[in-house]
Amino acid sequence: MTVIALAIRTEDLTKYYAVGLGRTALGLDGLTLDVEEGQIFGLVGPNGSGKTTTLKLLLGLIFPTRGSAEVLGLPLGRSEYKARVGYLPEGPYFYEHLNAPELLRMYGSLFGLGGERLESRMRELLDLVDMWTRRNYRVVNYSRGMRQRVGVAQALINDPDLLFFDEPTAGLDPIGAKEIREVILKLRDRGKTVFLCSHLLKEMEPLCDNIGILAQGQLVTQGNVEDLLAGKEGHYRVEATQVSEELEQSLAAQAVETKRLDGTFQALFASEQSAFEAARTITSKGGSLLNVGPDRRTLEEVFIEVVGEES
Amino acid sequence: MRPIYRVAKATFHEAWRRRFLNGILVFAILIIGSSWVFTYLSPGAELKMLIDVGLGSIRFFGMLIAIFLGVRLIPEEIEKRTIYTLLTKPVTRAQFLLGKFFGGLATVISNVLLMGVAFYVVFAIKAPQFRQMTPEEGPAYSMEFMYANVAKAIFLSFFELALVLGIAVVASVVFSWILAAIFSFFVYFVGQMSGFFGHLADPKHGAGPLARYVLGTVYRIIPHFEKFDVREAILTDVPVAWAHIGTVVGMGAVYLTLVMLMGYLFFSQREV
Repeated sequence: MTVIALAIRTEDLTKYYAVGLGRTALGLDGLTLDVEEGQIFGLVGPNGSGKTTTLKLLLGLIFPTRGSAEVLGLPLGRSEYKARVGYLPEGPYFYEHLNAPELLRMYGSLFGLGGERLESRMRELLDLVDMWTRRNYRVVNYSRGMRQRVGVAQALINDPDLLFFDEPTAGLDPIGAKEIREVILKLRDRGKTVFLCSHLLKEMEPLCDNIGILAQGQLVTQGNVEDLLAGKEGHYRVEATQVSEELEQSLAAQAVETKRLDGTFQALFASEQSAFEAARTITSKGGSLLNVGPDRRTLEEVFIEVVGEES
Repeated sequence: MRPIYRVAKATFHEAWRRRFLNGILVFAILIIGSSWVFTYLSPGAELKMLIDVGLGSIRFFGMLIAIFLGVRLIPEEIEKRTIYTLLTKPVTRAQFLLGKFFGGLATVISNVLLMGVAFYVVFAIKAPQFRQMTPEEGPAYSMEFMYANVAKAIFLSFFELALVLGIAVVASVVFSWILAAIFSFFVYFVGQMSGFFGHLADPKHGAGPLARYVLGTVYRIIPHFEKFDVREAILTDVPVAWAHIGTVVGMGAVYLTLVMLMGYLFFSQREV
């Protein structure tokens, strides 16, 4: 029997916030979750769904109203696991009078790092997040993207086993966002566990091994990305643009279902043969074919489906 | 110890970049320096004014710096979210609280030192003429104890302001920073009058049993800030006794320990 090591385990983790005059507001409702070591786990959900609350509970910044959790095998409230985790908060802020090397030296020294080891780690990380050439800028002069880059570097200073990233690519340009995604994938390849929170579904889909979707404080679905996105078995999907209404009506007669999503025509067929026939028809009638393949939903579709049901 | 030192160091550097604190310091040094304007007074009155204005300014502006700095140290970390990247590192809440306090204390002490130096410069320039006073000009000052007494007064200010700072930091953990500032000012000014409360609580002054109980309780609970003020001894040219300094510093240390313990109890439960 294979024993799966868990990086995070939560059981009925619940948080109500006091909002004054004896009233409370729900932040998180009965979250039960297992995150295996060495995987990228994505927690997605609309604003206010409980993503940041989950992170703060796991990091001991706030305290649960009910339930329990373990991080790296240690219960909440034990500070020993802090030496093995890294955290990038959403929209990170730092002491404004420091520059990037001074910040990393300060954070590194909290882990007992020092001397040449800390200097080389600092250099390595600033290179990684493309901040070495801008290392002498003070935080007060940073753009949002620069703060984000240094935020990633400080989260990695102790070479943690478990990383918590809250909206890791927020504020970054497309190239910067791609670089951070590559960093995350490299971390997973090195056996690290990455717990990501984001509302950028298109970004999360190719990045995560497992995903949980939160809505109104509740975990509405979770699972392996491939399983979550899998469509109807044996069915094939055709996606195209520039499909006329006349052609759409003709294809609808042969398809199991058709729909338009953001101007893209989508049709689902019961067999591979009928899907490829439809694809040929579309191209011959001037349509622009985007994709033909086994039925697979996007994370956005799954998200809208499950969150829509909840709300 | 390392986390406390790191948090304290960052706090100290951040604090020196606060314009309002620098403004208070510059204003205080100007007031101390302006003791020159009292040269038209007779030398005896001039010495009294110099001591009153100089040491009074150090205590008053030091108190303003301690309270306004203290009540913002932790709330600002929470508002700016810099606390997230610290408390999620191997830094306990007790270490964070102590780091913020010691960083603030280093700032207050360096401010008091600067004010003290300004006062000493003015005092050293003016002092020689007080030695040559005639009986008509005022009481004869031997000036034997003056420099040491002034140093002791400034030394006591450090401890007084450490306690004020501790109260302000801890109050900001419990209340909003504005309420914490009001609370700290209240404790400080009531503490300045603690002797008066003790006096009124004495049965021979005719207060009723309830009033005596309330006044007596206030007298016993509140820090006796007026005991940190030794200007009277300086003006009467008697040495400030080390026994007095020891008692006052001991009282301050006990209060500060209790205040910081209470602060830890609140901060360990505080959500950020």
